Amino acid sequence: MDKAEIKKRLNDIQSLPTLPPIVSKLNEMVADEEITAVKLGKVIEKDQVLTSKLLKMVNSSFFGFPQRISTVSNAIVLLGFNVIKTLIVTSSIFEVMQASDVGLFEHSLGCAAACGIIAKRRQIKNPEEVSTAGLIHDLGKIVLRSELPEEYEAIVTEAREKGRYMREVEKERIGIGHGEIGGMLARQWNLPERLVFPIEYHHKPEQAPDFKEIAAIVHFSDILIRAVGFGNGGDPWVPALDHNAWERIKLTKSQMKEIIAELDEKLLELQDFTLEIKVEG
Amino acid sequence: MQRIPIKLAKEGMVLAKDAVTPEGQVLCGVDTSLNEELIARLKRQGVLVISVQGHPVRMPGELSLSEKLKELDKRFSKVQNDPVLRALKHLLGEHLVVEEKGAEFLEKLKKGS
Repeated sequence: MDKAEIKKRLNDIQSLPTLPPIVSKLNEMVADEEITAVKLGKVIEKDQVLTSKLLKMVNSSFFGFPQRISTVSNAIVLLGFNVIKTLIVTSSIFEVMQASDVGLFEHSLGCAAACGIIAKRRQIKNPEEVSTAGLIHDLGKIVLRSELPEEYEAIVTEAREKGRYMREVEKERIGIGHGEIGGMLARQWNLPERLVFPIEYHHKPEQAPDFKEIAAIVHFSDILIRAVGFGNGGDPWVPALDHNAWERIKLTKSQMKEIIAELDEKLLELQDFTLEIKVEG
Repeated sequence: MQRIPIKLAKEGMVLAKDAVTPEGQVLCGVDTSLNEELIARLKRQGVLVISVQGHPVRMPGELSLSEKLKELDKRFSKVQNDPVLRALKHLLGEHLVVEEKGAEFLEKLKKGS
């Protein structure tokens, strides 16, 4: 299979659950400048299942709001529409992932938590957006796994056994890496570039056309969460650090120490969260 | 600090964080030393997990400290020449030691070497 064929196949994804119809309605509504968070919230709240999933995610520890968020319109005000939209768009994907690959789910949640901690320290305006980018940075792997399961299995096995990075093996075997695949899909779903670029460039953040700082945070968070050994991102290896990206977000030794301690706390809470999901099914 | 399910709580363990119900209600403050009566009360009130000082329980499947350090090494095996990541690995190793043995142990270890 060549790259063009893979792209065609990914454009016409069959195996993943379709986007909830509510997404296109929300997109239309957001295009209207008069729209308010309360109105948007009301539309989302008509779907009770979606609402409860959404509230569970926004109240989970990787966003880390001290007070419980109890309504969707509050969530929109606090987290911003980009975050809420992304959570809605990806909610069905994460369900697939929870069922088929808990390790990758945990890796994603952990990366989101690390992104949030670093983004807050760097006083980025909407740190929850960076967390969300971290949450979906490996979207491409989920797609690969469900669309090309045999290739995915072979890629993971080769990466683990031969001590190689997944993205290298992906490029060799199918001509495209999971970052690029995730970026394609995120674009197809009309997610904003602030989220698309960090997904697409999480292994080469300096090449991102824009939002290099967010891309750098996702890049380093992916490294950090693998370094800690939480979850399973496919291959077990800590990825190479892009030193130009590191210059952008550089942390001192004592800051790093604080971040490790903070992350540790969050990961314990996340374990409870994933346990809850497993129990509730 | 270790987070353990309430059913593994034992008399003499000391809370490293407040014991809270899943609804977020604080029942027992940090630094409280647990006794049987207290543990029973926490269970009754629906507390599921607590954080205790040190690392008193080895969970099934949980690695020992030296195994954890070995795994850490293995994960970093492809980036050993990167000075930034080497420093990160070092910090994570220290963190693992402190989590299990406490800060004083690490200090002694540093002085010794």
